[in-house]
Amino acid sequence: MNEALLTLGFALVTASILALSAVAFTLEYAVTNVANVSHGEILTVGAYAAYLVHERTGNAIAAAIAAALAGGFAALLMQAAVIGPFIRFGATPTIVFIATLGMSFVIQNTLVIFFGAANVAYTLDPGAPQHLGPFLLTPLDLEIIASAIAITFVLYLIISRTKFGKALRAVSQNRELARVTGINATRVAAATFFLAGLIAGYAGFILAESVGSFNPYFGFSFFLITLTAAVAGGLGKAFGTMVGAVLVGIILEFAGGYISASYNLAFAFAILAIVILVRPRGLFTNARRTVFE
Amino acid sequence: MTNYIVSILTEGAIFGIMALGLNVIWGWSGDFDLAYYGYVAVGAYMTIVLTVGPAAAPAQYILGLQLPYPLAVVIAVITAMAVGLVVGLIALRHLRGIYFSIVTLGAVYVMYVFAGQYVPLFDGYNGVFGLFNPMGDWFGLDIYEYPWFLMGLCLLMFALVFLLMWRISGSRFGMALRTLREDERAAAAFGRDIYRLKLKGYVLGAGVGGFAGALFAAYLSAFNTSAWSPVEIIVLYSAVLVGGRGNIWGVALGVLIMGLLVQESTRFLPELPGLGELNTLHPEVLLALRGVVIGLVLVLFLRFRPQGLLPERRFVDKQPVLDTALQTA
Repeated sequence: MNEALLTLGFALVTASILALSAVAFTLEYAVTNVANVSHGEILTVGAYAAYLVHERTGNAIAAAIAAALAGGFAALLMQAAVIGPFIRFGATPTIVFIATLGMSFVIQNTLVIFFGAANVAYTLDPGAPQHLGPFLLTPLDLEIIASAIAITFVLYLIISRTKFGKALRAVSQNRELARVTGINATRVAAATFFLAGLIAGYAGFILAESVGSFNPYFGFSFFLITLTAAVAGGLGKAFGTMVGAVLVGIILEFAGGYISASYNLAFAFAILAIVILVRPRGLFTNARRTVFE
Repeated sequence: MTNYIVSILTEGAIFGIMALGLNVIWGWSGDFDLAYYGYVAVGAYMTIVLTVGPAAAPAQYILGLQLPYPLAVVIAVITAMAVGLVVGLIALRHLRGIYFSIVTLGAVYVMYVFAGQYVPLFDGYNGVFGLFNPMGDWFGLDIYEYPWFLMGLCLLMFALVFLLMWRISGSRFGMALRTLREDERAAAAFGRDIYRLKLKGYVLGAGVGGFAGALFAAYLSAFNTSAWSPVEIIVLYSAVLVGGRGNIWGVALGVLIMGLLVQESTRFLPELPGLGELNTLHPEVLLALRGVVIGLVLVLFLRFRPQGLLPERRFVDKQPVLDTALQTA
């Protein structure tokens, strides 16, 4: 029992990172209706940016900000240079899916050219583990969880309370109708990608911290888990995605702890296949609702 | 230089067979299948474990038989088709578009993880090896003659598969597959069993992939998860896209272009001024540069010429029903 609770504690850390990555992915999906396969590379770019800035300044907060900004601009560039033009040109979602897959390959290899393919070790001092209720967590773990909750809360406020959030919801529900009412869908999509990139870049930074190292391919393998969480929660639905992320995080951590961590991805995909086959719109949705219901 | 040309032609022929198999699924049936390379891998793995005999002490893998190569190829193809059938049964039932792609991506990852992690299957990351010059001693070939024989065999097999695909392309089955790609509902309205037809196409594609894998095993004489890299896969998909999905002549052209041009172009890169030292900086830089080129070709073609260089010929109805109806009215 005690061990199970410990595992649950670690699962919360995984779930926090996963929730941020998945919510960013689902926002990208919401405004464009295409799955951005190069989403994982935003995390990778964030991790590299954090590492480079940390090396120069020695300041973890500066590194976190650098990760978020790098992620934001990377996502903006993806939208402006590839996804946006493809959508305007009328490409089907599958074509954009393939195009973003190609782009992910381009970004990975560009990173290899500049930084090499080797693993980069990157850890902050996690501090001494402390008992917190039944959990055993380091201060770093706690910071990761707290930051994920804070970011989620701010995101909730942005989407539900601001004019931009309203426009975002409108575009995600019906792009054409939103445009008829005078919303600049392209600009909303760009802003959403920037916002999603900020979150994903930061997620890349905390993922690198929690794993302890990264390489040009690390975002892509995490993307596969992100995809599982987002699909489980319902693509394009921010709230559902977060619940999906927590569930997937917990299942993965328990499966990894009790069976073997090397099969993690296989587990993720088993979950994914089952969810897609049984509840293709996600676990907690009825068809009509979108984004933050 | 001759050795180089022989190996390029052998590889190109094997690669061409792979692309023709992928074309059945992606080109005709219209489903962007990411699990395809898994069937190539199953074919290659199975061929090796069926021919090289029992595993020596530290290594371990299933079967370990010493069957003659052609028989092993047949069994390997059947295994690949069986795996394809399982994936197809799950993925083709209700899923289309990106959901299909995501599930097949999942399927190939499960295969990859099991091949790499579950040691008793194919010895994990070490993989299986030891298939030297299959059928060579039947014809009394030495190690200098053998590559020529293998090249001939692969080119012949490519020609046969191409012929088969050419027949299928114009057959009722080939037409029916294309109908599903264009409009599933219309096909259903005309009494086509969509699921069954798609499944047939999928298993056929998987079988061709497995066959290419079996030849690949003879060429490489070993197979492990690093032979299963994203680069190979992206080149394969780009070849089908660049040439022209659905048109087997286009697919052949795509293989020629991607295989010979893009794969080999970076070979001459260091001779360009200013780039000479790139090669010495990072051993992986050249490979990564090639990856960037292939990825960009894929994205640019999708954007500016998604139908490929040799697009599939569209069939035009010489007597549209509507016109006839209007004339008689």
